[in-house]
Amino acid sequence: MNNKFDALKDDDSGDHDQDQGSPKDSEKEKTDEEDKEQNSSKKKMVVPGAGEHPLQYNYTFWYSRRTPGRPASTQSYEQNIKQIGSFASVEQFWRFYSHMIRPGDLTGHSDFHLFKEGIKPMWEDDANKMGGKWIIRLRKGLASRCWENLILAMLGEQFMVGEEICGAVVSVRFQEDIISIWNKTASDQATTARIRDTLRRVLNLPPNTIMEYKTHTDSIKAWEDFHGLVNASGGR
Amino acid sequence: MIGSLLFYVLYPFSRFWTIRPSEASKKGLPPVVVNGTAAWDGGAVTSKRITQCQKTLLDQWHTPGSRTKGETKERMKKSGPEKENDHTTADMDKKQLMAAAHEGTKNEAAPKICDGQPAVEEKETAMTNGQQQDSVDTPKHEDGGMIVHHEVLHENNNTEDGNIFPTDDISPEQACRAQTTEDSKHQTVCCVQEQKQIQNMEETVTVCWDEYAAPTADEIHGGASGSNLVFTSLLSNSQTTNVSSQHNTQTGWQFPIGPGLAEEVHCPMWTFPAVSYYPPFEFTLPFKVMWRVWQEIDESATEEEPAFTPFPFTKVSMDFTVMSYNILAQDLLEANQELYAHCPLEVLDWSYRYFLLLEEIQKWAPDILCLQEVQENHYHEHLYPVLSQMGYTCVYKRRTGTKTDGCATCYRGDYFSVVSLSQLEFFRPETELLDRHNVGIVLLLQPVATQGVKVTAKGPPLCVANTHLLFNPRRGDVKLAQLAIMLAEIDSMVQSCATKGEHCNVILCGDFNSVPHMPLYQLITTGKLYYHGLPAWMISGQEDLSFKSHCHRLFAPLWPSTLGITDNCQYAASEDMCQSQNQESGKCQYTHAFMLQLRYCPAACVRPQGLMLIPGVTDNTPDPTSRNQPYNKRFSNPISHPLDLESVYKHIPPVSGVSEVTTLNSEVGATVDYIFYSPRRILSSAQKADGDFVSKGLKLTGSVSLLSEDVLWSMKGLPNHIFPSDHLSLIAKFQLDWNAA
Repeated sequence: MNNKFDALKDDDSGDHDQDQGSPKDSEKEKTDEEDKEQNSSKKKMVVPGAGEHPLQYNYTFWYSRRTPGRPASTQSYEQNIKQIGSFASVEQFWRFYSHMIRPGDLTGHSDFHLFKEGIKPMWEDDANKMGGKWIIRLRKGLASRCWENLILAMLGEQFMVGEEICGAVVSVRFQEDIISIWNKTASDQATTARIRDTLRRVLNLPPNTIMEYKTHTDSIKAWEDFHGLVNASGGR
Repeated sequence: MIGSLLFYVLYPFSRFWTIRPSEASKKGLPPVVVNGTAAWDGGAVTSKRITQCQKTLLDQWHTPGSRTKGETKERMKKSGPEKENDHTTADMDKKQLMAAAHEGTKNEAAPKICDGQPAVEEKETAMTNGQQQDSVDTPKHEDGGMIVHHEVLHENNNTEDGNIFPTDDISPEQACRAQTTEDSKHQTVCCVQEQKQIQNMEETVTVCWDEYAAPTADEIHGGASGSNLVFTSLLSNSQTTNVSSQHNTQTGWQFPIGPGLAEEVHCPMWTFPAVSYYPPFEFTLPFKVMWRVWQEIDESATEEEPAFTPFPFTKVSMDFTVMSYNILAQDLLEANQELYAHCPLEVLDWSYRYFLLLEEIQKWAPDILCLQEVQENHYHEHLYPVLSQMGYTCVYKRRTGTKTDGCATCYRGDYFSVVSLSQLEFFRPETELLDRHNVGIVLLLQPVATQGVKVTAKGPPLCVANTHLLFNPRRGDVKLAQLAIMLAEIDSMVQSCATKGEHCNVILCGDFNSVPHMPLYQLITTGKLYYHGLPAWMISGQEDLSFKSHCHRLFAPLWPSTLGITDNCQYAASEDMCQSQNQESGKCQYTHAFMLQLRYCPAACVRPQGLMLIPGVTDNTPDPTSRNQPYNKRFSNPISHPLDLESVYKHIPPVSGVSEVTTLNSEVGATVDYIFYSPRRILSSAQKADGDFVSKGLKLTGSVSLLSEDVLWSMKGLPNHIFPSDHLSLIAKFQLDWNAA
């Protein structure tokens, strides 16, 4: 299973616009990372501090960036994505957030990802593979505020869709910024509709804002079609 | 000469013809409409009277004296600029020109109007004319005050009757003139006249007719001058009558015109030889003055009463009145004497103002009384003892800082019981914006219906908020923040009722130091305000400072999250409560505002251990003081509030178009005081189907009329001998229904 990047197509929201190596490379690295992560989570599981406000779930911040000047094909998605840290309470969240650059101030081709601890910001993660995402394209200048609104709503459990939410992504691009929120079950229309409505509310979006839902299966297929790699993901 | 005669003959008809256009033009008239329209009516009366004389004399009066022509011209000249509006004058001229054309039809026209009563012919015509005129006018002033007013005037006329009739030694014509004077007066006020009065008039009219039947040359002259005499002597009366009724029309109140104003409006043109025969028509004040009157609001057409009340319940209905009154603190009066330079010294004296104030409170006897600018010592020494004797329970909150005044909310102890009470201080030293010493009082009252000492029914809770916001016209931002505190407190009371399953009605009143329809007012009435980038002076709209090159603008966020009030003008703490409730149900749910509150708490400012400095991560230390975070969620967001509020006063009186004011001093007259309430909304059919038969909200059933600026200036501004403050009191009557088991 691969993380695909379609540099020219519209699926540059989310995590899969990083250039990647071959499927084999990717798979290998992913395994490595899983091991690493398992080790680290064994080592240290974040817990809320005394007197802090616990979150319903633990979350992890990630950052990814396409290194400028290097050929895309030689980079793997997983090489470019870095884990910033995990947190279990509102206070711990702010601790990280306050020490991070606002998305609007990011330069280049970069993304912040905020996923539940244990879910990797990839299509292929078990939690994501049947899922999809709502995509909102924003004109420049709105990303910081919308991102903050989105993640506060997610961390504060404002979406009210049980365990459906997987994470959120903000992608800084040349002419626009894209925010998206991922959920587990793309086929659950009640859930996706509810997420959409909550998004509209918490982001305070203008009524004419276009919101697009995309299943990860479609994202993978689009990537594969573009790269001529039909069935490259080995039947998964 | 013929022209002038024709004018006299036809002028009443011209009056009749011009009623409608005049009315139409009245609506758009500038404040001088009072004089203008009054004169317009006066003119009508005059011409009626003259018509009576002239028509009588028309055949006999063959020797036109040049003086008569002079009279006409002079009257035209004088009455034109002084009494008539341009359009009326124009009409007169036009009618005069048209007179020739209508010469042939004038005799036919008269009987047509006079309902075929040939015995009284012209006089009847005039009278009918007058009645028609009144009947045209009547629909306009159908308010409570009108009837009172006319009754009063009738009384007045009757007393004058007494003066006139016993004088047996006056000549027949003079008696007749006096009679017709009476008639004319009756005509001007005959909108509620009964049939017998009309019959009376007919009788007297007939007498007059007989008297005029054989005039001598001398009498002709006497009649001519007499008609003028009547004309001018009428003026002081009919003019007054009309001025009063005009004011009645406009604002629903009356005020007497002393001889001074009558003379100013109508300079007498003649020195009459016969004046000594005349009983003086001095205008005395025999009747009690009703300054402001109740304006009932009849919504029976739109009201949809539930057809029935389900069996175990009985519908309880309660009427109550609310007064909001900025009574002008004596210390502030003395500190700003330049604002009251127009006032006679005695009306600025506290003991005098206090006397008037108590009279006014006693007169309207509100069930809930919200006072502003109550000086602390005056409250404790004067107001509190008297008000508690009158049955009021009072709450007082002095302003913080050095100012000696504050707000007081008083309510009838036998109508309401207090559920909770908060006294708000808007001075928050930790918040830079809130550095002004204003206060507010929010009371949660429970209406009780009592029979004797036994409480028979308890109504839905009523939240009564009273405040006096900052005056400074340039600091709309401060006013908004103060208002937000007020709204948050009200909301918390409403919420606390909601948790008990009760619907809480809201009354928010006071001096908001903001004019209607400007941003602060909009926030209250529409529930939403996009403030980002607005100039601070514009928020209240008291002064137009747009000419200034530099003006302070409002930027988001307006107030810091440390204030604990969200953009919805709700306490963040109340959301905190919801959150803890959610936690009880096993879910860690947090609102946006709640999470933002923790943003700069000490635990959140520590750099996470082992945080690598990769791109996307900064080595900056979080700065709790930098609150103007551009990505703050309040960026370009509106502030809003969830309360449904409407103003009792609509700020434009329906008739005159002259805007009413609630405050007036030597510098400014404006509406800045309000009573806002949660109105009863018509239930949708869906709600009705749900069996929701309890009507929520307050039904506004009346309010005491305000006065316009020009009317107040005619009373020498504020304060004066009637109104003790530089503000007017606002009084509203509400109906509250509930179902009691």
